Amino acid sequence: MQPDIRKWFVKPHDKSDDNGKAPKPAKPTLAIPGKVSTAKDASPSSPVKSLQGGQESSGRRKTSKYFASDKQNKEDPTEVSEFTAKRKAKSDDVKPSPVKKSRKVDDDDDDDFVMPKTEKSSVETTPSKKLKSGSGKGIPNASVKEDDVVTSPKSAGRGRGRGRTAGGRGTKLESDEGNADDDEDAKEVKSAGRGRGGRGGSAAAGGGRGGGRGGFMAYGERKDPPHKGEKEVPEGSSECLSGLTFVISGTLDSLEREEAEDLIKRYGGRVTGSVSKKTNYLLCDEDIGGRKSAKAKELGTGFLTEDGLFDMIRASNRSKSTKKEDPKKQVDKIATSSKASPIKGGNKKEEVRESPQKGKATTHASPGVASSMRKKPTVGQSSLPWTEKYKPKVPNDIIGNQSLVKQLHDWLIHWNDNFLNGASKAKGKKQSDSGAKKAILLSGTPGIGKTTSAKLVSQMLGFQTIEVNASDSRGKADSKIEKGIGSSTANSVKELVSNQSLSVDFDRSKHPKAVLIMDEVDGMSAGDREKIQVNEVALEELAERVNGDMRMALNQLQYMSLSMSVIKFDDVRQRLLTSSKDEDISPFTAVDKLFGYNGGKLRMDERFDLSMSDMDLVPLLIQENYINYRPSTAGKDENGLKRLNLIARAADSIASGDIINVQIRRYQKWQLSQSSSLVSAIIPAALLRGQRETLEQGERNFNRFGGWLGKNSTMGKNYRLLEDAHVHLLASLQFNLGRSTLCLDYMSLLLKHMTDPLKTLPKDEGVEKVVEFMDAYSISQEDFESLMLMSKFQGRPNLLEGVQPAVKAALTKAYNKGSKTRVIRTADLITLPGIKKAPKKRVQAMLEPVDVGDAIVENEENNSDDVEDLEGDAEEEKPKVDIASLSSKGIQVQVDAKKASGSKKAPAAGGGGRGRGGGAAPKRKR
Amino acid sequence: MLWVDKYRPKSLDKVLVHEDVAQNLKKLVTEQDCPHLLFYGPSGSGKKTLIMALLRQMFGASAEKVKVENKTWKVDAGSRTIDLELTTLSSTHHVELNPSDAGFQDRYIVQEIIKEMAKNRPIDVKGKKGFKVLVLNEVDKLSREAQHSLRRTMEKYSASCRLILCCDSSSKVTEAVRSRCLNVRISAPKEDQIVKVLEFIGKKEGLQLPPGFAARIAEKSGRSLRRAILSFETCRVQQYPFTNNQVIPPMDWEEYVSEIAADIMKEQSPKRLFQVRGKLYELLVNCIPPEVILKRLLQELLKKLDSELKHEVCHWAAYYEHRMRLGQKAIFHIEAFVAKFMSIYKGFLIATFG
Repeated sequence: MQPDIRKWFVKPHDKSDDNGKAPKPAKPTLAIPGKVSTAKDASPSSPVKSLQGGQESSGRRKTSKYFASDKQNKEDPTEVSEFTAKRKAKSDDVKPSPVKKSRKVDDDDDDDFVMPKTEKSSVETTPSKKLKSGSGKGIPNASVKEDDVVTSPKSAGRGRGRGRTAGGRGTKLESDEGNADDDEDAKEVKSAGRGRGGRGGSAAAGGGRGGGRGGFMAYGERKDPPHKGEKEVPEGSSECLSGLTFVISGTLDSLEREEAEDLIKRYGGRVTGSVSKKTNYLLCDEDIGGRKSAKAKELGTGFLTEDGLFDMIRASNRSKSTKKEDPKKQVDKIATSSKASPIKGGNKKEEVRESPQKGKATTHASPGVASSMRKKPTVGQSSLPWTEKYKPKVPNDIIGNQSLVKQLHDWLIHWNDNFLNGASKAKGKKQSDSGAKKAILLSGTPGIGKTTSAKLVSQMLGFQTIEVNASDSRGKADSKIEKGIGSSTANSVKELVSNQSLSVDFDRSKHPKAVLIMDEVDGMSAGDREKIQVNEVALEELAERVNGDMRMALNQLQYMSLSMSVIKFDDVRQRLLTSSKDEDISPFTAVDKLFGYNGGKLRMDERFDLSMSDMDLVPLLIQENYINYRPSTAGKDENGLKRLNLIARAADSIASGDIINVQIRRYQKWQLSQSSSLVSAIIPAALLRGQRETLEQGERNFNRFGGWLGKNSTMGKNYRLLEDAHVHLLASLQFNLGRSTLCLDYMSLLLKHMTDPLKTLPKDEGVEKVVEFMDAYSISQEDFESLMLMSKFQGRPNLLEGVQPAVKAALTKAYNKGSKTRVIRTADLITLPGIKKAPKKRVQAMLEPVDVGDAIVENEENNSDDVEDLEGDAEEEKPKVDIASLSSKGIQVQVDAKKASGSKKAPAAGGGGRGRGGGAAPKRKR
Repeated sequence: MLWVDKYRPKSLDKVLVHEDVAQNLKKLVTEQDCPHLLFYGPSGSGKKTLIMALLRQMFGASAEKVKVENKTWKVDAGSRTIDLELTTLSSTHHVELNPSDAGFQDRYIVQEIIKEMAKNRPIDVKGKKGFKVLVLNEVDKLSREAQHSLRRTMEKYSASCRLILCCDSSSKVTEAVRSRCLNVRISAPKEDQIVKVLEFIGKKEGLQLPPGFAARIAEKSGRSLRRAILSFETCRVQQYPFTNNQVIPPMDWEEYVSEIAADIMKEQSPKRLFQVRGKLYELLVNCIPPEVILKRLLQELLKKLDSELKHEVCHWAAYYEHRMRLGQKAIFHIEAFVAKFMSIYKGFLIATFG
């Protein structure tokens, strides 16, 4: 997609060049179709060619249609206008449309016309090559140029223009670049266009744009390559490493491991994780003596340094240029292969092209013949999407899961025996036997072929399948109704399966997702009747990208075949990258990508997409992990200062993100959400992207889950506990300060008072003292524990250390015993018979101080009631006694009362408090 | 009972520090109608003590008959209903609460609950003050909106209600609120005042104080009387009779912050930053307010810092403290400060020592 867009942009410039050199684009255009038709007449192979020529443009158009949602949208309108413009152009030869439009038209013409042109010049020699040049958008450059040069100066000029275009697109197609270079060497014709192309290409070689799969994390921590980015990565011919298997070990000299991998894959090599007999080379720069190198030595695998690898690639380049034959041969091969099934291919393409072609046909002066001829071959079957078209026709076609298919097959064969001939209904006892089941549940991720295999198997066995899926009404004949079993049994079957939306006959047995993506892909390329030349690595990449969803793989493949007939690694990569946003991105993946070694090459909108994949979680993950990254932007950084500076900037940015987030959440300023993700995710990631390293021993080198959530909830819990304790303390009336004071100042001393006596004094005495203290501050045992909890710091001795368990037990006992006689201060400290425990929260009331003057009589009444309610206990008298006996301050009274009487009931305290009555009463109810 | 609580003066006459303020307050309430009051000053200087004593002065002993309530208020906030849990301490004459407990929903407390309380006139008017008092703690932690909503309440219901606001720093209280109150600044007690109090307590408790011991505690306390008394008692629990070179134990969390500061000074690296983050989390989880952590951390860092860096570091600490208040996730800001410090300090070390 990307390159396409660029093309549109780049073209105009070239255009001007072209126009200068080939000032009459319209005329050649006219010539082409004629050409095509003649070619068609001339030889059987030529139709294909011309078709393809046409197809290229149609393919491109298709592209934009496919991607209605994409940026391409922008393109669409212009294109539409283009059409109209063209139509107009047809009617009157002059182009009345605005400049832009006419430019576009030129563009198109150019595309169409360059190819046939070249074709003309060298039709006989390399026919298919042309095809490719038409549809392959890149690779062909080389050949096109060659031809151009040979044929005429004019076309050479055009070739140049093209070369430049290629440069523009070049970012993605290094290997093409290679080709172009070959030609350069060979021909000595150095056109400006080529030079540019070369540059574009090498820039791209720096690292194909594209996105990190998160794969790099799988490797342990590694050092940076010592000469990172200092060497120039050579370019070679596209297949120079094909058939070779590499294993990378240790740190390379200048490449990150991922880059090396990319490089190898780009040139057709394979990279595997461990050394085996099939391994051709072990790529390493320093012999670290790890397992890989040991094994490699054992197996006699060759060692290869990074320089060696570069040399290999360069060498391929040279060798190619010396014997020019090579590429041609290859080309021929391709040609033949594509010829092998020309009709089919032709059909297929026809159909695809159909509609755009019409538009096009009108554009050109004499398209009639060609287009009509093209339309004819369109056959019903070929209009199916590939997913349908290449659906396996026999079970043996099914790729992957063969054993399961077999199982299914067997089961179906025996179905009749089991259910029709024998006991017609399943018996409970039989259930365990797999053959005896009435139905099978096929499950798995979408696209792995559940439906297909089920269908095939049943078809093969002569059952007629009736498909009922979710799109049908679920009312009556739910699920697929059993096929051949006959109407008599249909009802029973229906009953059995009525709730399954999938199939009855083939139904479902747990089956694991097809994991062997490679298998699938290999199978796919073999069975690929479309004769698209697909490079295997590309398929691997494809398979990797679609996450094992075969249906999606095919769809992608089909799409790509529209625009090019040779699919290469980078194409696949490119294509899938652009579509990858359609998949669900987990926050972790998003963070991996942002921090990944390719993170810097992501476009801004891609970054936004990533960070918006989960607006809450991504920033938290980033915050949690940003320290762990060794920023690649820091370059040489011996003392780590640069990194620290970057971290400080990132931290600052993250903090700003927090502030913005408050604005968003608290004041609903959602318009800030972009800024928020920019500041809290994108900037920190951009500053620190690089290699992840571990900071702690034994930590796994994966992004941690954001710690803030957990800590925050612990903090919330502790605040609640503290609040409870605080309320109790307040209720004691000894204390009237805020909870932060409690936490900051009081805590140590409180705890000291509660633990020291246990350690220093004899058991009973200590316990008594502590209980007394706790009572004075109405600290409950839960409070005691939560205070303990909150005073714990890592690496500090626990305050209760050294306290004998016996003493602890005694404390609990004493406290519980004391609770009988405890002054009731807070509602939640009251233990009601029959009721378990007051729920921790919603402490409602407390009462308090006893006092002097106020209406005692009233109080007494209230009191007794309350007390009864509360404790159901008859000692209401006490309070009176206490109150009577004391005439001084409230607080004093309590304490004294407790000490003096040793006891009795809460009411002591309650006396005065109750007076205040109304308020206190409701809370008592519990 | 702890000494801090035991020897807290109950009436304005018995106040040992800030006698002048106490006398003025006494005159204020006895001779005239009491305006809204704003007490501010560092913690441990006696604001709360004065307020309680003042209330007692106003309403007599009944001001001490307090009940504690922790209940859930249902507040109607536009389309939805919010549950707010709030602890109040109330007597017949006053209600004390801490509106900032509600976090960012504090404005509902001010708008609904406080207004509700302020509206209701106390029933008995015979011979007593015809108003009730609302004591609001930690007003400086109130959000801006809450403070704004407070303004109107203060004016509208001033006939039936007086507000006593209490906070550490008046700079965080909006101008509008400040101008509606009589501001009473309670300065931190001087060290000799603290010594005086400690000696007073020592005498009451019948303790032998070695010469200079009280002074040492006072010095350690950072002029917080509460802190001084608490650590005095801690010493007492730890070891008695006192010896002259007895260690005055610091607070656990303070010690922990010093540890963090030492860590930071020792090494500036991502790894260390990561460890520091862990420790900061621990402090936060233990309910130490983030502003306190940051402030303390700065103090500890400054102790060991070269003087040329002090200004810059202070600047950044203030910067991040401010931003912390604007934000929600305190750890991010503290961490940003630590990272900033590390980068500054490391740069400085490299520049100086190569």
